[in-house]
Amino acid sequence: MREKLVMLLAGLAAILLAYNLHHMFLVLPNEVSQDFIFRIIFFHVPAGIVGMIGFFVALIFSVWYLAGGDLRYDSVAASIVEVSVVFSIVNLVTGSIWARVIWGIWWTWDYRLTSQLVCVLIFVGYVMMRRAIDEPTQRARLSAALTIFGCFDSVVVWKSIEWFRNNHPGPVLSIRTGGGNMDPDYERTLWLNFLALLIIGAALALVRSRQESMEREIDSLRRAAHV
Amino acid sequence: MDARNFTFMFYGFLAAWLIVLLYVVSLARRGARLTKELEDVKQLMASGQKN
Amino acid sequence: MNLFTQAFAVARKDLAIELRTKESLNAAGSFAVVILVIFSFAFESFSDEMKEFGGGLLWLVFAFAGALVFNRGFARELPNECLDTLLASPLSGAALIIGKAFANFAMLLVVELVSIFTFGIFYNVNWLSEAGSLTVVFALATWGVSILGAIFGALTVNLRLRELMLPVIIYPLMVPILIAAIELTNEVLNHRPIGGQMQWIRVLVASDIGFTGLAWMLADTILVN
Repeated sequence: MREKLVMLLAGLAAILLAYNLHHMFLVLPNEVSQDFIFRIIFFHVPAGIVGMIGFFVALIFSVWYLAGGDLRYDSVAASIVEVSVVFSIVNLVTGSIWARVIWGIWWTWDYRLTSQLVCVLIFVGYVMMRRAIDEPTQRARLSAALTIFGCFDSVVVWKSIEWFRNNHPGPVLSIRTGGGNMDPDYERTLWLNFLALLIIGAALALVRSRQESMEREIDSLRRAAHV
Repeated sequence: MDARNFTFMFYGFLAAWLIVLLYVVSLARRGARLTKELEDVKQLMASGQKN
Repeated sequence: MNLFTQAFAVARKDLAIELRTKESLNAAGSFAVVILVIFSFAFESFSDEMKEFGGGLLWLVFAFAGALVFNRGFARELPNECLDTLLASPLSGAALIIGKAFANFAMLLVVELVSIFTFGIFYNVNWLSEAGSLTVVFALATWGVSILGAIFGALTVNLRLRELMLPVIIYPLMVPILIAAIELTNEVLNHRPIGGQMQWIRVLVASDIGFTGLAWMLADTILVN
């Protein structure tokens, strides 16, 4: 059942991506001031949004785990965090490549870059820490605590340096500006690509959480063998 | 056409796909290892029960 | 016994042990002084520019020394199953965490006092006239890092790579507190009033309240043995 769902999601994502890539490269004209490099936005922004959504969905599952003690919630949270870290790294790397062309530098300590980097560092620590703990309940509790503190911390970092260091391009998407800052065709392609990446992320998280279930099954079989 | 601009766009797309691909490969390898380990443990349990 | 009475009892116990053995204070204090000495080779230590990045230097030292203090906080309870006894006692989880945080706070403040004296001498920075403002900044920021050190110290106490995992986990979480503390400390060392940087004070207060609130709410759920 789960395998069929993953195949379905993968197929859907493939169709969407094929359509988007065609649109991105063969239909849309070059952006006036930034030329080709502007097209990076079609992966840079959606990857960042998928990552952010992932961390907050993982927060919900972590709280559910603490409330109920069901290790399946912990497995889902861990899977989503891992996938979100991957997408957040894509966001940072693609942004860095874009910045090299447009700003002439690989990095700047702007508030969005800094808070995204801090978020990635927190959740990379999460992934590393999970590998260091063998006992499932202890691992789940520490993971849940770190997710809760990590999400709160990410918001504080974002807000605290927002006024302080601001050279990242301002909002262009119409949900933030009310319209007019970005060509509608570009924006439509961006949101379609966001959907494609979200579907890919969901499929990867499903696969990863299946692997977490297998690990729990192996663990319980080993414990039963020693009884 | 600005060659450098185009080249960096290509690197950007390559980086995005490569990072996701590396993760998919690591997931596949972990999946294969876990499947084998599960089979081994089940076989061990079955042979243990026979004895 | 209410929460604060219980927390003070825990803090008093830890501080009594520390005063007798001085293991954390000696280690963290010496470490802080050594780092300040080493950094003097990295910078032109008598220049006026030291006042511009003195805050960064000091808070790096406090963060590294803090990791030593936080590691010991729960590790000292491991021998003779003292941690199990604490968890089995009527003491609430929140009281245990906040008590440990009080103890961390007090010890880290001592390390900071030693460090600021050393910094003033080695780097020729006059800070005594700003002692009041420095106290406010140090107290607010140190509480934030102490509560993080307490809760994650408790969660990582049984890990085999505790000394490595604790810093890896808490340093990214400390970022907003460290940024605010560094900015405010630089203002103070340059003899500018901290009232001009109220947004950083707000960040420190928000972080302190947020982290303390989260630790309070989660302590009993997380600290189940």
